[in-house]
Amino acid sequence: MAIFNFKKREIECKIVYYGPGRCGKTTNLEHIFKTYKKQIAGEMVSIDTEGDRTLFFDFLPMGLGKIKGCDVKVQLYTVPGQVQYSSTRKLVLKEVDGLIFVADSLEVRREKNMLSLKDLHENLKSYGTSIFKVPLVMQYNKRDLEEEGIPLMPIEQMDRDLNRQLKAPYFSASAIKGQGVPQTIMECLKRTLLNLQKQLKWAK
Amino acid sequence: MDPKDQIISLLKEADLYQNQGLLNEAKERYKKATDIIKDSPKIKNGRELIANIVKKVVDLNQKINQINQAASKPTVSDSKQALIKKLFSGGGGSDTFTSAMEGAMALAKFGQFDRALEEFERLLDVEEVRVAAAKNIVRCHLEIEALEDAALCYERWVGDDRFTYAQLDKIRFFLAGRFRKLGFERELYQREETVSDEDMETLEMESATPEMIERRPSVLEDMELPEEDEFLDINSVGIQLPEGRQKGRMVEFDVSFQTGNSINLIISNKESALLEELVEGTKLNDMQFFSPIAILNGSGVVTAKTQIKSGPKEGDYSLDITILTT
Repeated sequence: MAIFNFKKREIECKIVYYGPGRCGKTTNLEHIFKTYKKQIAGEMVSIDTEGDRTLFFDFLPMGLGKIKGCDVKVQLYTVPGQVQYSSTRKLVLKEVDGLIFVADSLEVRREKNMLSLKDLHENLKSYGTSIFKVPLVMQYNKRDLEEEGIPLMPIEQMDRDLNRQLKAPYFSASAIKGQGVPQTIMECLKRTLLNLQKQLKWAK
Repeated sequence: MDPKDQIISLLKEADLYQNQGLLNEAKERYKKATDIIKDSPKIKNGRELIANIVKKVVDLNQKINQINQAASKPTVSDSKQALIKKLFSGGGGSDTFTSAMEGAMALAKFGQFDRALEEFERLLDVEEVRVAAAKNIVRCHLEIEALEDAALCYERWVGDDRFTYAQLDKIRFFLAGRFRKLGFERELYQREETVSDEDMETLEMESATPEMIERRPSVLEDMELPEEDEFLDINSVGIQLPEGRQKGRMVEFDVSFQTGNSINLIISNKESALLEELVEGTKLNDMQFFSPIAILNGSGVVTAKTQIKSGPKEGDYSLDITILTT
């Protein structure tokens, strides 16, 4: 849940990258960290990793400037994607303001994508909220592997599998090449902040 | 597709999946390639190919085992623990103690038990959260399977002036319930003047039942902010009888004991008409809960009714009610 500090005129919100293991969540954050150094309020922290697998979470604080006279800060998180880290995922997801679901375009990961989305839905439910109520953007990652002749799912199929009911905006991406990463986070930020603006008006 | 092309494609996929960290998928592709080679006698150097693939699969299996055996929640550095505590301690309107409790709970849920225990120990100094902190200390010990340590903690607190008798009783019954579930037979020190026999019976019913605990995969899932804060202290309840000769009659009872959303009442055996209606499973849709700060309307269900066999309240009935809504 976003923190409004009316005295300091500051808003701090939380966006979480979700998705199955090895889909590119951390790669997204790494690209953002490299590309937007000016807006980065601190260091990207990975807690903890086994090799290059996220065990706990990644964290990246960003400053976005002012909205309606308030300083807007964003905390970006990733969750560990492997099935066994369910309780950690749930903890990181607490009080989320915006979501980016990173789906793996590899055909062999089709089922994992769907299970991860179901896991997200259930974790949000356990917090008394709904996947339909949190600003959400879909990212269909690893599109670059098509050039290597690796079987990928068509975007249309991924959208049918994952987004038929949610009807969230989606972006093709290759996080490792930085393609689609800025567009995804910008859209999520836009939706998250619009949502927060509504709350601000109510608070006023 | 020509078997040779299939094999090349599968091996390429396998290598890529391995680079992606998709080890099981890689292994599966290597296996498929091996099967095709075995079924294609025309492929030159089939044996050497299979031997090479087998080496790769052995490597993969080692990596998979390493990953599976690695600690799922390794201990992290002090600075990372501090960050975990800061990020997950609930900001905004949380008061200091609630915030500190949330931070400690986050540390425990991330497997940083040593640090979590230190934090919970500090919170024992705070009256408002003492029992919750003590219970969470117990939970940490149970999570790391240090059951005897959990018992020793409780026994240390028995001699600790910070704890009231009522607080110790709550902790003891909580711990006893957990031990029962785990099949750990360990007597916990009980001072002579703790409770009378009939109150003991009543209080034992207040411990989390095995069924409640069984639903939760880990004791840490239980971790909550102070139960006393989550549910109002209820001094008395008003019950409107749902059925029978006295349907609609509102009767008020003092609450003899409360744990979270479960309350216990003692009903005189003279209230026979009432006792007929209040049996296990009776749903009470019109209840009033009287607390020091508010009167709430809600509902509950009778979860147990037992006649008291000895002591000053012999013959009276002990009734457990679980609050469903307020």
